[in-house]
Amino acid sequence: MPARVRVLGLGNEILADDAFGILAARELAKLFPPDEVEVIESSESGLHLLDHVTNVSRLVVIDSVQTGRVAPGTILEVREQDVRAVPGAAAHGTGLFDALALARKLGFPVPTEVVILAVEAADCLTLGGPMHPAVAAALPRLIDQAKALISKP
Amino acid sequence: MPESTSTRRITIDPITRLEGHGKIDIFLDDAGQVERAFFQVPELRGFEKFAQGRPAEDMPQITSRICGVCPTAHHMAATKALDNLYKVTPTPAGRKIRELVYSTFMAEDHALHFYFLGGPDFVVGPTAPAAERNVLGVIAKVGVEVGKKVIAMRRRLRELTSLAAGKAGHPVFGLPGGVAKRLTAADQVRFQTVAAEAVEFAQFTLGVFDDIVLKNSDYVNLILADFFTHRTHYMGLVDDKNQVNFYDGSLRVVSPEGAETVKFAPEKYLDYIAEHVEPWSYMKFCYLKSPGWKGFTEGAESGVYSVAPMARLNVADRMATPLAQQAYGKYIATLGKPVHHTLANHWARVIELLYAAERMQELANDPEIIDPNVRTIPTAVPTEGVGVVEAPRGTLIHHYQTDERGLITKANLIVATQNNAARIAMSVEKAAKGVLSGKQISEGLLNMVEMAFRAYDPCLGCATHSLPGSMPLEVRLRNRNGETLSTLRRP
Repeated sequence: MPARVRVLGLGNEILADDAFGILAARELAKLFPPDEVEVIESSESGLHLLDHVTNVSRLVVIDSVQTGRVAPGTILEVREQDVRAVPGAAAHGTGLFDALALARKLGFPVPTEVVILAVEAADCLTLGGPMHPAVAAALPRLIDQAKALISKP
Repeated sequence: MPESTSTRRITIDPITRLEGHGKIDIFLDDAGQVERAFFQVPELRGFEKFAQGRPAEDMPQITSRICGVCPTAHHMAATKALDNLYKVTPTPAGRKIRELVYSTFMAEDHALHFYFLGGPDFVVGPTAPAAERNVLGVIAKVGVEVGKKVIAMRRRLRELTSLAAGKAGHPVFGLPGGVAKRLTAADQVRFQTVAAEAVEFAQFTLGVFDDIVLKNSDYVNLILADFFTHRTHYMGLVDDKNQVNFYDGSLRVVSPEGAETVKFAPEKYLDYIAEHVEPWSYMKFCYLKSPGWKGFTEGAESGVYSVAPMARLNVADRMATPLAQQAYGKYIATLGKPVHHTLANHWARVIELLYAAERMQELANDPEIIDPNVRTIPTAVPTEGVGVVEAPRGTLIHHYQTDERGLITKANLIVATQNNAARIAMSVEKAAKGVLSGKQISEGLLNMVEMAFRAYDPCLGCATHSLPGSMPLEVRLRNRNGETLSTLRRP
């Protein structure tokens, strides 16, 4: 029996600000019983995410992103329908949305609601690098935002 | 680069999850002709510093976290570097289990790549509208049932990797001298079952390639097009019979004419490979010390070489398994040898998929695979170790030096994309010169330029897993002062 809500924390623990999604998922795992909210951490990419985006009704994805348009630490809340060019025009750039689109096309059970909470990162390329202070400071705010999304009816 | 202030720069920048991933800069002269084109990928920083002081035994776990695409390749290269560091030879069962898991991983990665990463270019078609060049376009072309078949195959292969290696996305089974876990008779049956399915699936995929690509003369002409062709050296691992091997062997280099120029033990890589630095890029361009760096040029006198599926098939005399050998024969009969057409990587990848599946089957059927003696305990004092595997995208080298306690003092990685960097840069420039002229730049033409580098499947940084593809592609025309003349956006 799949959980009603799944939190998918994406990122890479050893890559500076990219650790954000993983750390957030760990925090959230402490706050909810596992039979209510399933929490998954993943460092994988592209269509490898397929298994993580199916068989659940509400999916909350936490990740870091670099748009270069907002200050590091800014939290962006994005819904699948808000994203243009789904799935992506770049062939190599198959990602979360491609996994969802593919799952839907193939008739797999997909969530009725997908929300992405992404923090604007400053650096995701330095191995072992520390998180930017503004990104680290965004963690409690993101947890509150995620809690609200998870708990709403 | 000329100092003309009117030179225009076009930047193709797939703004993906990490800004700056895979940027193409195309400089146009006054007449609107392509003058130079550059391809750059961001590199992870700080690996050496990050590794220093850590126990070498941690490297298979840590390096598998570097990349969300090929964790198993890093895990295996690191594990082999530990064998070499501790001067220990894995037991026969330990070695076979490693190669079995590695073949399973290669089959999974190649299948996924052919259908869903290369597929938008090659299955859907290079001139298809951008809106169709994606995974949904692939499904539209091959059908929902085939799509389901690919996904189901991938899942079964991954389940086996998890069974033997701990976790497909983060394997933990490699230890110096062998593996952490033996396979049971029941595990063996599971591997045998899935391997047989994988062989059938690979043959089916070759059929798909035949129907969609080879029976379409437009595709074949594109593969053969001059602007997708480079006569360079090639490098890859071969076994003692000069057959393709992903897991182990000697590194063999062949010239643009196909003659062996050198074959060496992987530990000696520094005697044969060096890195060239260009002021315009933070990437390092690997080249062969003999003949040496002669710039971004083709031919036997140039040190530029390439890796990945096409290169592996070029350096080998044959494939080690019967069905793959048959497919290889047809490939060589059609394209000649060595093959210099970059887009042939897609065909070579399918042949390698079949080889991986057949190799998996051979190893799964080997009675020794369930031998409980899976590890030789190392006793030597560590100093230095090199481990090499063929990752899906080409030769991957891990090199560690340690103190007598086994703590890392120096670490070096050469990943596939670095081996290919010079040739990729040449491919982008040649494709740009071949298809772009005048100031009108269409989606279709830009796609041809992108196809030139996508055939190599370069790792655009090692951490792309979430939002890529969700953002538009920006094409910026700029003058030399950095002023943006106009911006084009892909929907």
